This record gives sequence, C-alpha cells and structure tokens, in this order.
Amino acid sequence: MFRRKREVKDFNAEIEAHIQLESERLRGQGLSEGEARAAARRAFGSATRAKERFYESRRWLWWDHLWQDIRYGLRMLAKSPGFAAVAILTLALGIGANTAIFSLIDAVMLRSLPVESPSQLVLLRWSARNSPNIHGYMSAGDCPSDLGMRHNGANAAAKPSGCSFSEPMFQEIAEANVFSGTAAFANSGRLNLTGNGPASVISGQLVSGDFFRTMGLKAAIGRLIDAADDKASAAAVSVLNYGYWQSAFGGSRDVVGRTIELNNVPFTIIGVAEQRFTGIAPGSDYDVWLPLSDGQRIGNSGPFRWNDRQADVSFWWLTIVGRLKPGTPQAQAQAKVSGLFRNEMLHGAVPLFRGGGPAGVAGPRAGGPGGGPVGREMVFGGAPPPGGGQAPRSLSAAPQPPPGQGGMQVQREAPGSPRPQSPENQRTIVAGPPGAAAPGGAHPSEMPSEPKTLSTAADNPEVTLVSAQGGLTGARTRYADPLYVLMLAVGIILLIACANVAGLMLARAAARQKEMAVRLALGAGRARIVRQLMTESVMLSVLGGALGILFAYWGAHAILSFVSSNQPRPLGFATGLDLRVLGFTVAVSLLTGILFGIAPTFRSARVDLTPVLKEGEGSSTRSGRPGGKWFSIGNGLVVAQVALAIVVLVGAGLLVRTLDNLRSVDVGFDSHNILVFGIDPSLIGYKAGQIDSFYRDLQGRLSETPGVKSASYSMMPLLSNGLMVTSFHWPGMPQDQEYEADTLGVGPNFFETLHIPFLAGRGFNSSDFELSAANGGATPTSAPTPVIVNQAFVEKYAGKDKPIGKLFGQSEGNANGPASAGYEIIGVVRDTKYNSLRREIHPMMYTPQSAGGASFELRTAADPQAILPAIREVVAQVNTNLPLFNVTTESEQIDRLLFQERLVARLAGFFGLLALVLASIGLYGLLSYEVAQRTREIGIRMALGAEPGGVLKLVLRQGIVLAIAGAAAGMCVALGVMRYLSSMLYDIHTNDPLTMIAVAVLLALVALAACYIPARRATRVDPLVALRYE
Amino acid sequence: MSTQEAKNRLELLQGTLDLLILRTLIFGSQHGQGIARAIQETSEEELLVEHGALYPALQRLEERGWISAKWGTSSNNRKARFYSLTPAGRKQLVKETTKWKRLAAAIGRILGSEVEGG
Repeated sequence: MFRRKREVKDFNAEIEAHIQLESERLRGQGLSEGEARAAARRAFGSATRAKERFYESRRWLWWDHLWQDIRYGLRMLAKSPGFAAVAILTLALGIGANTAIFSLIDAVMLRSLPVESPSQLVLLRWSARNSPNIHGYMSAGDCPSDLGMRHNGANAAAKPSGCSFSEPMFQEIAEANVFSGTAAFANSGRLNLTGNGPASVISGQLVSGDFFRTMGLKAAIGRLIDAADDKASAAAVSVLNYGYWQSAFGGSRDVVGRTIELNNVPFTIIGVAEQRFTGIAPGSDYDVWLPLSDGQRIGNSGPFRWNDRQADVSFWWLTIVGRLKPGTPQAQAQAKVSGLFRNEMLHGAVPLFRGGGPAGVAGPRAGGPGGGPVGREMVFGGAPPPGGGQAPRSLSAAPQPPPGQGGMQVQREAPGSPRPQSPENQRTIVAGPPGAAAPGGAHPSEMPSEPKTLSTAADNPEVTLVSAQGGLTGARTRYADPLYVLMLAVGIILLIACANVAGLMLARAAARQKEMAVRLALGAGRARIVRQLMTESVMLSVLGGALGILFAYWGAHAILSFVSSNQPRPLGFATGLDLRVLGFTVAVSLLTGILFGIAPTFRSARVDLTPVLKEGEGSSTRSGRPGGKWFSIGNGLVVAQVALAIVVLVGAGLLVRTLDNLRSVDVGFDSHNILVFGIDPSLIGYKAGQIDSFYRDLQGRLSETPGVKSASYSMMPLLSNGLMVTSFHWPGMPQDQEYEADTLGVGPNFFETLHIPFLAGRGFNSSDFELSAANGGATPTSAPTPVIVNQAFVEKYAGKDKPIGKLFGQSEGNANGPASAGYEIIGVVRDTKYNSLRREIHPMMYTPQSAGGASFELRTAADPQAILPAIREVVAQVNTNLPLFNVTTESEQIDRLLFQERLVARLAGFFGLLALVLASIGLYGLLSYEVAQRTREIGIRMALGAEPGGVLKLVLRQGIVLAIAGAAAGMCVALGVMRYLSSMLYDIHTNDPLTMIAVAVLLALVALAACYIPARRATRVDPLVALRYE
Repeated sequence: MSTQEAKNRLELLQGTLDLLILRTLIFGSQHGQGIARAIQETSEEELLVEHGALYPALQRLEERGWISAKWGTSSNNRKARFYSLTPAGRKQLVKETTKWKRLAAAIGRILGSEVEGG
C-alpha cells in the first residue's frame, strides 16, 4: 500500500496543537497562562528531537541527502572551475574513447540478427571425425567451415565441421517438421544485371521458399518470396534490398512487377525487403534475393555449371537456419536433426563418379565438360575455371590461412560483398574472378577408395544446433582482433584517466583537509563524508561520461567513414548509440567515478582532527619528511599512469611500424599507374572459345587507346586478395605425394605490362594459349601445358636442375581423374606478391589464361582514373551489356589491402598520444601541487642560500625518478602483453628494441617538459613572500 | 524536564510505549495529548511519558498500519490530530498484550521468590 508521505509542516502543527491542549489543561488546574505554557513545554521534552526523529523516519531521507550532496558538490566544482574542467575533459576523453570503440564492437559483434526473435533461430552445424566423402562444398563465409583437409603439409583439423549441407538433406530436415520454420540460403554469385539503365554487376542470395517467413521479415513494398515461388515450375522472381532499391531504382514504388535480367534470365521484381534487413549474417549486404529453385537458371548461363546439385547428396552448399518451435527444447530438435543427418551419412547412396568426371561437381573448369580433375579440388567463390584442365591431378584453390590461425577454411566468400573479387571483403581467401558462386568441389585428400557412403559410423557424423546469433559470424571474425586490441588500448586509457583524476582529487582532498576536519568536528558522520566525496567524484565522471558520449559519437562516425571510404560498397554494419552502448557508458562512468574517488575519499575521512585544525592553511610541516613520501599515493598514481602510457605507446609503435613495413614491402612489380577492372562475358552466356577471343580483341583495342601504354589481363588481379593454389605431382617423388604452387592464369603481355622481369626463358605466345585452351577443353592434347614459374618455384622444386624445359605434374588416369600431360616450364620470372602483402612469396606458376572471366590490367601514362571514361567507351563498342566491375588501381588495391592496418595504426597512434598527454598532465599536476605545498620550504631553502639551479634540480629529480620508475614498469608489462599483438604485426618482433627506445625517448622528453614548468615556478619563489605565506 | 516529580516516576521500558498507545486507543479515537494524559492517569501518575517521545512513536505505528490518523476538533474546540486503532492494530495489541503478560508473570515469579528468600 502506498501512503502519501506526511509533510513536516503537518507534524509541526500537531506538536503545536499538543502544547496548546496541554497548556489549556494546566490552566484549567489554575496555572497562569505563562506558567501553563512553560509546564506544557517542559512535559513535552525536546520538540527539536521529536522533529528530528520524525524527519529521519522518512523514507526519502536518502534522496534528500543525495540532493544535498549534489548541490554541495556542484558548488565545490564551481569554486574550482580549472580543476573541474581538467577532470571532466580527462574523463570525457577516456570514457568517450571507450564508448566509441564499444559502439563499434556492439555494431559488429553484439548486435542481434536483423530478424524477428533472433533467439529462437538456430544454425545447423555438422561435425565428424573425418571429412565426409563429398564432391562439392561451398560456404558463403557466414560461418567458419573446416573440411579437415591437409594443406601445405599442415595437419588436418582435429575434427572437420561446417555449416553447409546438401539440398536433399535440407529438404529432408524441412519436411521432418522439426522447426516451426526451416530456411536455407546460399550465395548466388555475381549477377550481371541488365534492364535497369547501364548493365551492372550485383550480388544476390538464393533463399528457400520459407526463408522470409522463418526470419519473420516483412516487405517494405510488394511481397517477399514464399514457398510457391521456390518451385522449378514457378516464374523467376526477385526481392530487392531496401538500400539497393533506393540507390538503383530511386525508391520508386513502380518497381513491383518490373522485369530485370540477371545473367540474361528475366526476373520479375515482386517486392522490397524491410529496411533493417540486408542479409542474415552480420555485415552481409545482398542486392537481391532469389528463390533457391532459380539457382539453376542463373547458374547454367554463368561460368560455373549447376550440375543438378539440387538432387546431389554429395554437393554441400546450403546454410540452414531453423526457428525452434515454442515448447520444443533445443536438445530434442538437435537429436532429431542429428539423427536424420547421421542416417543420410551412413546409409545414403553416394553417386561417386559419373562418366569419368566427378559426379555433380561443378568442375573448376568452365569450358570443359567432363574429364574434370578430381582428387583434391576446391574452387573458391566463383572460382574461375582455373586455366582449363591442365592440372593433371587437380587444381585447388586453397584459402590462405588467416593470420594467426592455424586452421584452414574452404572457400569463404565475403559476406559483405558476395562478389568474390572484392578484396576488402575477403580476409581469408578468395575467390576468383568471375562467376561468383562457382561451387567448390572438395575432396578429402585421404579418400578411401570407392566409398559407398558419405561417412562411416566410426566418423560419428552429427549435427549440433548453435544459436544463429553466435553461429553466423559473417564478417565479424575479420574485425574481432583489431577491435579487441583497440578496446584494450582504450581500457588502458580509461585507467590512466582514472589515475589522473584520482591524483587531482588527492591534491584537492589535501587542500580540503581543513574543511573535512571542521565538518567532522561539527558532528558529521564519517560515512556521510565518504558519501559526500563519492557523490562528487561520481558526479565528475557522469559529467565526463555525458561529454564522452559526444566525443564517442564523433569518433565512431569518423572511424566508420574511414572504413567506408576503403570499401567498394558501404559496410553492412550500422553503429549508433543504442541502449547497450548507453548502458555501457553509464556503467563505465559510474565505475570510473568510484574507482578514482575511492582512494582520496578514505584518506579524507581518516583525517586526524587536532593537527589539521591547529595548522595554518598551507601547511609546511607535512613536507618536512621527504624520506617517507616516495611511497605516497600521488607518486604511485603517476608511476601507474606513465607505465600504462608506455604499454599503449609500445603497442601503437609496433602497429605503426608494421604498417610502415607493409608499405615498403617489395611487391615484385611496378604498382604505379595500373588501372584494374573486371569484365566477364561468361555471365551473359559467352562460351569458352568466344571468351578467349573476346579478351584478345578487347586487349588489342585497349592497348591502342590513347593514354594506355600496355594492356593485359589475368584470371584475377595481383594483390586483390584472391588466391588459387594448384597441387601436382613432382617427377621422381612418390606417387601419393602432392606438391603445391600458387597459380594464376595470365593473358599475353602480362609480365611486360606489370613490369615483372624475366630471369630466363620466354613469355607465352599464341600457340601456348591455343595449347592451354585445348588442354582445358573437352579433348586434352598429349602435350604439356606451358607454364612460367617464379624464383621461389625454381628454388623449391627445380633445385640445381635447369628449370627451362622441366616437365612436372604428369599423371596417368586413375580413379581421381583422367590422364594428364602435366606442365612444362618455359620461363622464369621474378618473385611477386600474389594475394596479399603479408603472405610470404610461395612457389608460383603462371598459366596461359583461357575460358574464364578475367580482370584487365592497363599500364597508363598518367593518372589511371583519368582515362576511365575512354576505357568504358572502348568496352561499350564491343558489347554494351558488359559492365566493368571492381574498377580500381593497383595502388588503391594496396591501400585497401592495408586498410585494416592503416585504421588500427592510426587509432592506436592516436590513443598512444592521448595516453602520453594524460600521463604528462598527471605528472605536471602532481609536481605543481607539490611545489605549491612546499612553497614555504623552498622559500626557506632559498633564504638560506640555495641556488635556483639547485631548486630546479630538486623538483626535476622527483619528476624524472617517477617517470623512469613508470617507464621501467611499463616496459616490463609491455614485454609481457605485446605477444598478444603478434598476429597483427608484420616483419617486426614484439619486443623490437628500436620501438622500445623510441618510446622511452619520447616519454623522457615529454616528462621533462611536464616537470620543467612546475620546477621553473619553484625557482621563482620569493623567500620573503613564502615565509610570510602563512 | 528533570523536575522532582518526574524523577520519582518510572521510566518506560523499551518497546512498551507502542503497547500502551495501542491499549489507550482501544476506547476510541484520541489525540496525542489525550493519549499522554490517559497513560499517565491510568498508571496513577506512576509512569513518565515524555510527550515529545510520543509523536515519533505515533508516526511509527501509523506507518506500520496499526493506527490511522485524521485531523479533527477536540472537546474544547481545538484542532488536533486524532488517532484510532485499525483492525491490524487491534490484532497486534492482543498479540503484544499476551506476550507482555507472560513476560511480566515470568519476571514476577523470579523476583517474587528472590524477595522472599532475601
């Protein structure tokens, strides 16, 4: 029951009434009015005490006190605006930096999936003791996969697992009715869009009919794909992304019902998805969604073959998400799904091979039907038909293991941009050029001969249900490391800020000792004093936090715009101050206030009354025992600040030097003035032979364009993050031993255009291209495919043999593939970097490019971007329906490759300087305060004949000793923690002496400056004034 | 307040004031001064009730919901705050009275025998 609080006035009135009644009674007994009133008061006792007791019984007393404290605190802050400004600004910087980085972490790592009740969604994840016997495996990078294949001699993963399933498996699970909704999706690959202005290349996702219903999504306009659309007989329909609808169709409501052509197939637009949904995985952003059943239509006209994967149990390409039925425990659903999976794996029939080629595998070669290499074969996102079928054993596009992680992943397309060629989006590997969604055929290297099932009982295949929120990592993993490092850095900065403000508070507490003593003497409880001081410090931190939110807002925006300027398309992440971020800031602010307030508070509350009250204002006696004061809290705080600043500075130094090292890496070719763009005629139905002549024709026209010095093309540009690896057999080695080399298909004049010098042999001539095309086609010749290799290849494989003319990679036909004539080395070129700057140079072979999408490289005389309009015109003369995509320059590509490093180095550098500034303010503040406190002592010294130089030294000595102690402690901590940075560093050791020395020198200089100002002030002390001071 | 008269009176034991207030109110609503008088008179002037202590006690009982209060007019036409017993207060009174009687009886038995023995 809630009772209204009784007013104090009402209580007082009651007491007054009592006195009246009592005195009237006494008068009735014969007393005079004055006597009666006095007697009534006497009988009442202390009215004040009664009132006090009434007051204290009120429940809101606590708030009254708080309000009092706040008003008092505000008055105190207003009395020393300098202190308040420094403290609030320091805290605002610390809290703001934390909020900014946390809002990024929130946006990237923590935000819930953009669907209805995401907590009910589960992701299916399979695992088994050995890799299943499957031919095709695709993952869009929404969730990490590990097929457990050996790569470069690395050990296979302990337990292969992944999130891709075959379509029959998906149908079975959907029909089993385990979930209230079951959705499957896969990357549609690169889509060539025509029918809406100039042709363009967009990204799409294939989704099952139940996808949007399962996610609980609504249409912004029109309708979304439903079960009826996901049938082979249904008309081809598409749903647009809200943002894409706005940018490409101007947000026109007339789009519903319009027809667009995707890879030459007409699709009717039926609606636009709601704005918040850009893709299910974090950071993903698709332009269109298409029904799963339309995959075949767009797939068959593209460079990869669809190959009836709908019916193929050994082609795994769909990610499955289910919505748990209310009331069905997750364990029960998991048991059921796992049972279905196990049954399929152990008892399902496996169509292993079909007519000499891998069954159901979209062979990695676009042009050549049949005779595909098997064995280990993996093609990444959109894998290009790698150089035709020259690979006797197989071609495998292997992912580059992410730095610092041992595992390897199969194909990982960038969720952010499903176009495989956009480098920024692919941390792990990628993909090749055209034909985005090319399937990867994956095959375990230790394939048992003629397996009858996908797996054996001993492999214990199973499915676990993981929350979609946690399981669909998407682009998250790419940003996790730098974000956590930055969070650590800003956490340290906040600690420095706390120590800094604590130091200020201590100094203030000392100055307020007398005030506290008076309050204690007047009967204030110590608890009340502690509370008053805590209120003040929390108030400071809350004010700092409020200002910090402002800083954070700017900061996060600045960071995001930096990120966006380095991406071909906007990031699928949106930052903002949501409740979680605000909650974080409030929590951090309060915690900060308590943290820096606690030491000074207890010191104040422990004041010994008598000496303080007796003493004059600027007490000089306290400084009379210099021996003991080295261990004061103030000194400790400054040492801690310097130490923490050193840690941040060393980290920042290492990251900045890493960026420097990467910038000065020798890429092996001249990266200036090279225009790069992708163009892919296979998307609109060109066949192998037509493709080759298309590129040759375009190359000729482009070379003659004014401003272009030389033109060539390759399967993908260098330094675009794409990587393909071929495995082969080296003559003289055991038959089952496989070797690997990075592989890149290149057009005529490639080496001349990029300025890669030949060390031996010759370049490709037209007969080499014909031979390569033939070997990659339906009827391979018996002649080996000519290749050009790099120095690393010669060193590793050829040894002392003369490399030119060397044959390798021959194989006789076997279960794993047809016979192949292998390769012949016709030239040796200088080493170059391939996919990234960090990856060391591996043995590499260049093959004559044939029958797949490619990217052009144009060596220009001047600014490459300037001649772009002319280039577009030339391309339009050949075919108006062929858009250029991923238009960029080599220098820009390098910048983009380094974008994360640049971002981290820039932020870390900024935070390092911030830490340094805060620590020197702390040092300065402490020394200024001490000089002020010791004015009298210094005055006496000077009066007794001390030289100004001696006084200067006296103060400087303290500052320098503190700085050195802090620096030493910081170096020790830095040596300990920097190894956590090692995965982000390049060509620099975590305890790099140069960085350490540079940081120490920088700190020493700044510390000296911070100490010099108060020291100078000390030398100007006038002995007469100082002695009269008290 | 330490008049000679007051010194001869008994100080109230801790916690008994609440009980006395509740007991006094059993005869109907009464204002603070009336309660104070009633306690003093009923105890034949033996108990010392500091009037000032009465009001925080009344406040406490009111907050616990044992008594309710409203402003009214006294017999001699003065405004005063009148307190009356709530059903919960009545229950509390019965409980406390029983407890007090048992306590008093027990203490009486012990002290009684000691006096005889002495």
